[in-house]
Amino acid sequence: MDEYPLGSLDYDVPFLVVSGLTSTPTKPLLTDPSLREQGVLVRSELPPIDSREVKDILRFMQDSDVTSLPWSSLDSSRRHRFKIKTIGRELLLPPRRARLPDDLEAPVSAPVLHSPFSPLSPGSTLYPDGLIDTCWLQKHQQYIPSVYLCFYSLSSDLTLATLHDNQLKTDINAVKNALGQSGYKSRLVVVILSDQSPNSMSQFQDRLENIKKSTGLDPKTSLFVLPTRRPKAELESAVDSVLTAIFDQAMEYYRDLGRHSRKKRGRGVAPQPTVPPTSGTSHTLSLQGWHVRYDFKSAVFAEFRQELDVALRSYEQSYEILLGADVLETLPAWSPRFNDARLLADIIAIRILRCLFLMGQSTAAVKRWQAHHDRMGDFVDRRGHGTQNYGWKAWEARWCTVMANLIEKVKFPELEPSSMSLYRLPEKILSADRLQPWELLHHPGYWYRAAARHISQRRRLAASMPEDDRKPPDKAQARFTGKAYKYDTYMCPESYEEFPLDGPGVDYSQMIFDHLMLAKAEFQKRHQVRTAAELVLESCKELRRMKKWDQILALLTPLWRNMAFRMEGWWDITEALSWTLRAAAIEVSRKDLIVAIDWELLNKGFSRRPGWHYDITKSLDGLSTDNPPTINIDDEHLLSFLDASFVFKHEEGKAGQTCPAQLSIKSNSFSDAAPVVLEKIRIDFDGSLRTIIINQNSDETPTPSSSLYVTRATLKEAEEEDESVPDDVAESDSRETRTVLHGTADLTIFPGQTRVFELDIPLREPGDAKASSVQVTLAPESFILEYTMKIRETDSPDLWYSPFSTRKKTTRSNPQNIKVLPRPPKMEVKLAKMLEQYYANESIKLELDILNEEDADANAKLDVILHGHDIPGYKVQVIEGEERSCSASEESKLNSVSLGKIETSGSSKVIITFDPANGPTVYEMTIKVSYHLVSDPATPILQQAAYHLNIVNPFEASYDLLPRLHSEWPSLFDLGSIQGISREGEASDRPRGLAQRWALATRYASFAQGDLSILDLDVQVLATQGNVRCTTSRIEPASPDGLQISPKTIEEALFDLVAQKMSLDDQSPSTADLAFVIKWRRPESPDEAINTTTLPLPRFYVTVSEPRVLATISYSTSSTSSSSSLSSTASPPQLLFLDITIENPSSHFLTFGLIMEPSDEFAFSGAKTTTLNVLPVSRRSVTYRLLPLVKGAWIRPTLIVRDKYFQKVLKIIPTEGMKSDKDGVLVWVPPEDELDGDGDGE
Amino acid sequence: MAIAIPSIACLGVIGRNNNPLHITIFPSYDSSTHTLAPLRTPLQFSLLLSSTLDVFEFRTRHARGPNPTASSTTTGLVTGDFGLLHAVDDRLACYGFETNTGVKFIAVVDMRGRAGASTVLPPTSPTAATAGTAAAVGAATSGVGLRDTELKVVFRAMQTAYVRLLQNPFYDPEETGSVALALGARGPAAAAPGGGKRITSRRFAEEMRRIGEGWAPGVTVL
Repeated sequence: MDEYPLGSLDYDVPFLVVSGLTSTPTKPLLTDPSLREQGVLVRSELPPIDSREVKDILRFMQDSDVTSLPWSSLDSSRRHRFKIKTIGRELLLPPRRARLPDDLEAPVSAPVLHSPFSPLSPGSTLYPDGLIDTCWLQKHQQYIPSVYLCFYSLSSDLTLATLHDNQLKTDINAVKNALGQSGYKSRLVVVILSDQSPNSMSQFQDRLENIKKSTGLDPKTSLFVLPTRRPKAELESAVDSVLTAIFDQAMEYYRDLGRHSRKKRGRGVAPQPTVPPTSGTSHTLSLQGWHVRYDFKSAVFAEFRQELDVALRSYEQSYEILLGADVLETLPAWSPRFNDARLLADIIAIRILRCLFLMGQSTAAVKRWQAHHDRMGDFVDRRGHGTQNYGWKAWEARWCTVMANLIEKVKFPELEPSSMSLYRLPEKILSADRLQPWELLHHPGYWYRAAARHISQRRRLAASMPEDDRKPPDKAQARFTGKAYKYDTYMCPESYEEFPLDGPGVDYSQMIFDHLMLAKAEFQKRHQVRTAAELVLESCKELRRMKKWDQILALLTPLWRNMAFRMEGWWDITEALSWTLRAAAIEVSRKDLIVAIDWELLNKGFSRRPGWHYDITKSLDGLSTDNPPTINIDDEHLLSFLDASFVFKHEEGKAGQTCPAQLSIKSNSFSDAAPVVLEKIRIDFDGSLRTIIINQNSDETPTPSSSLYVTRATLKEAEEEDESVPDDVAESDSRETRTVLHGTADLTIFPGQTRVFELDIPLREPGDAKASSVQVTLAPESFILEYTMKIRETDSPDLWYSPFSTRKKTTRSNPQNIKVLPRPPKMEVKLAKMLEQYYANESIKLELDILNEEDADANAKLDVILHGHDIPGYKVQVIEGEERSCSASEESKLNSVSLGKIETSGSSKVIITFDPANGPTVYEMTIKVSYHLVSDPATPILQQAAYHLNIVNPFEASYDLLPRLHSEWPSLFDLGSIQGISREGEASDRPRGLAQRWALATRYASFAQGDLSILDLDVQVLATQGNVRCTTSRIEPASPDGLQISPKTIEEALFDLVAQKMSLDDQSPSTADLAFVIKWRRPESPDEAINTTTLPLPRFYVTVSEPRVLATISYSTSSTSSSSSLSSTASPPQLLFLDITIENPSSHFLTFGLIMEPSDEFAFSGAKTTTLNVLPVSRRSVTYRLLPLVKGAWIRPTLIVRDKYFQKVLKIIPTEGMKSDKDGVLVWVPPEDELDGDGDGE
Repeated sequence: MAIAIPSIACLGVIGRNNNPLHITIFPSYDSSTHTLAPLRTPLQFSLLLSSTLDVFEFRTRHARGPNPTASSTTTGLVTGDFGLLHAVDDRLACYGFETNTGVKFIAVVDMRGRAGASTVLPPTSPTAATAGTAAAVGAATSGVGLRDTELKVVFRAMQTAYVRLLQNPFYDPEETGSVALALGARGPAAAAPGGGKRITSRRFAEEMRRIGEGWAPGVTVL
């Protein structure tokens, strides 16, 4: 839009000249010297006012100027719009009438003079047949104010008042007259400033009235009084109201002017020029031309009045006539007026567009834009030089730019970047129509872009010009050939300047680039990143023509690194961008970019560039080879033809073992591309695996170019030589030496080939590991390229290749992961000769065999941990080694018993001996052998074994204590015994009290699982209570070589227990705690290993103080008749002697009644009923002789013993050979033969 | 007199991840030479289609925004019809449609792509197609407009074709649909440039061609 003449497109707002506010010299309005010379001066004699308030007013005036503000169709809040110019006291107006040219001979009659801007005046550029030009617009925009606003001050000094007032009046009248004589209708408005406050103004009323009267100014419209003594805001609003009032004046002024032009148009005759044209054609402006002029004028005046619809109508009218049959059609294409008319058409069209925009009719504007374009195209085709030349394209480009500029100036809120819309919806009237999509007003970016496209077409057309036209013309020749008119030069240079044969012409590239950048900025503002990228790509083509390589790099490199096209698979775009960038990179030797781009473009998915070498090693050919760069790229940023995947064969592996894995690298390069020879491949892992580096080794079997080639690479562990860390002393100390796995192979990859490297990866540390990235390194002479490919987690199954071109899918997801389990220990811990059952009270000896089944010698240590209840002490003895013991405790642990070095497949013996346990219990024994191999001291290995030791009681026993008749009873007549008590009662430990005899029957059962040898049985008296002495003795002697007791059998043993009170006087009952002791051993264990099991007995009463009745039975035999005082016949009918002994340990005299009941089973002799007196501490016996009537049966002698005194029946206690039930004692009558046998036996 | 009428210059199917699935380019009628030729190069059409993605993103973001002002465009998000995405210049305009699975159909309309008086099919003899140059230029200017709804039939037909493609059990939409995903996850080579990740069905391509050639403003069935 800037290409149009200055002022031709300015937005018309009423022009206001303010005078008297500033004394500083201002730029005169009229600059043209010829006009200045003839100008009309309106001068005021009074000096400009100068005060603080005036400065405020001046500033406010300047702020009210709207020329710098954007046009806004919506800003209706403003009550006035002015273009404001401040001057001193002098206003120079252009002459109303042009002078006759000096060289013109005076005409006969008085010439009719016209405005110097009119085509009628010979001095005008338009003379004689021009239409209108910008000078006329300038006249109204810059020279002639609608209102001449003069500021004067009112003196408040009363002494000078009259003088001042008179000066004021004179001056105002002078200005008024001067303005009136100038011929212009500019309104004069006077503002009188007073330094008083508004309230005190009434005192000046008369003076002001006087001024008003003598100047004839209307106080409502043209004379204002402004008291300045008031707050600033109030002053401003007062000035604002003055301006508002003036605005009406200005409107009136432009209305008058508009009316005047319409009147002139209405005359219907073309005015005659001052002097008829004599030179050139004598053609004068036609009536239609005058109509164009008048309509244009009225339109401009309407625009001044802000009456956009009126202006639009007038412009349209003017435009129609201009392009109608009588004006533009009549102009020949060679005429300079032709281009002037086109310019006018453009200006009118632009002004129409502006009106439409300001009225918010964006779609109508685009339609109008298109219409003008099409109309001009059609017109140029018919009347001008056609549309197939650079001039037309230049205009088209300009026409697009104009639209973009207009849109930018109008600032539609719908098109602001923040509004998030790309185009403006059509106005309501048009929204129902079938619209061209382009007719929805798009943001300026689109228009700039269209302009750029037209410029490139302009270049194309310019380039197609024949060379003759591009030579600077020989002037004389040009006239004859008419070559000057061959091209459309409307607002663009001649063909020989447009695209000269030599020397610079129009810099199309720069133009295109500038437009594209403008467009890009607009698109970028609206986050249209892809479009912006497209524009960048386009602009880089221009930069390439301009050879501005650095700029290309600056624009394209960020885009190339991170473009959406690559991510989203727009390969053709990616490719185009890459080639463009590469071309620039070559020029500035950006080696990293060149190599990276070449690397990417090797992918055969891109289209093939014919004749390209497709050899990465040749990338930097032609560039200097010193300082070969190291280039790091990765697959995050670019596509490569290489694709790596890594597969572990197994999901799990154990430390110390190896796991087969495959690294497959697939090449997707062009089939005729050079094979890629890698320098090395580096596989990095996340987790516990070591980095693998495979180096190129051309000595290995070379790779065939088959589509799949599987290689095995053996790996060796080695310390990594860390190249990246410089030889810094401090660094090198702290640097960890990392072990890496090295392998070698031929690393040539042919196009389309899948190289598979099968690796046996030693697993070292347990944990999860994952192949994270594969880095391939290329190192031709000129550069080093490191390309990193991430191994990504994916759902797609990976393939496991076999050498025979078969492949199978691994079913696991994420086969690049492996779980390394801890190294399985091969140290074996064995418990030799573990017995089935261990018993309490035996010491347990465990023999541990530790076997080294590793491939190497191992240094081992042993931990023994015992859990359980009542852990006995134990000791651990390593054969030929350490011996350690541990005392009994709740939980015990023996740590780090050194086993020393165990040779491979050797073993070490450890004996663990437990002290005997007291009772049944359970131990958990854990044996841990921690060791490391001599070959690999870093890997600790742990083997452990747990044992469950269940210890049971081998025996259980039950007991019966049976009363027996003791043979001894102290005799009251035995002085020795009695005196002994009294004499040495305290000192002597010999018991002298009553003694009672018992039989202790123990039945013990073996709970062992195997036979046990009972070596000895014993009853021990652990303790006695109540001054008693107990002695026990075994009734039958133990067999000397022991008794074999089988599992779950019960044996019985009888013991004799005699308890004797220490003193005869002591008659209290007493108890004894006894223990049954079994000495035993396992039959298989050696003789000396005797175990003792002590079974405690419940507490027994061993003496009682109550009287007791004991029954004893004895059988008469042929040989004996010990108690046969009553028996006379030792005849075959057997006699039984039943002795009833009543013991009275008490100190009472007791009387018992005995009643023997008769029975069917036997006959008896003895007192049927008798009374027995028992003295204290004495006993008496009664004997019954029984003759059983039955044989081989139990008979029940029913004897009742009653304490006479207490009338209490005493229980008769059976002794040996008898038993009792609830009814009384039973006596066994043996059968005859048995009796005999028994008798024989006794 | 021949009036240049709109025709389809390019049909594009773009996947969920903004990856191109299918592009068909149709020749436009060139009034100056009376020939049919694509208006732009395939690369330019690719750029054009990808630039519409900006608008799709833009609209989607805008629709989620607090204050949607453009009334006709927001309704598009319900039906999937985005209407006019943008006009590239005075000839080409892009219309868009997005399925609920995020697959986008884009029709690039050449507003003066076809000589109206001649038949829909390319004229057998170019010279016979139209009258004088001036008339053609004049006619082109006052070309028929277009309403957003007139493209609906195109998108419906494209969607039908696409659905038919999906019904083919041998077609794996994930394979084509997740290029960017694959690119992110698998390394780029899996998403082989220009390779098989696009729709390769010949039937689909023929269908696209039929739709593009058969459409003209006012056509209600495709």
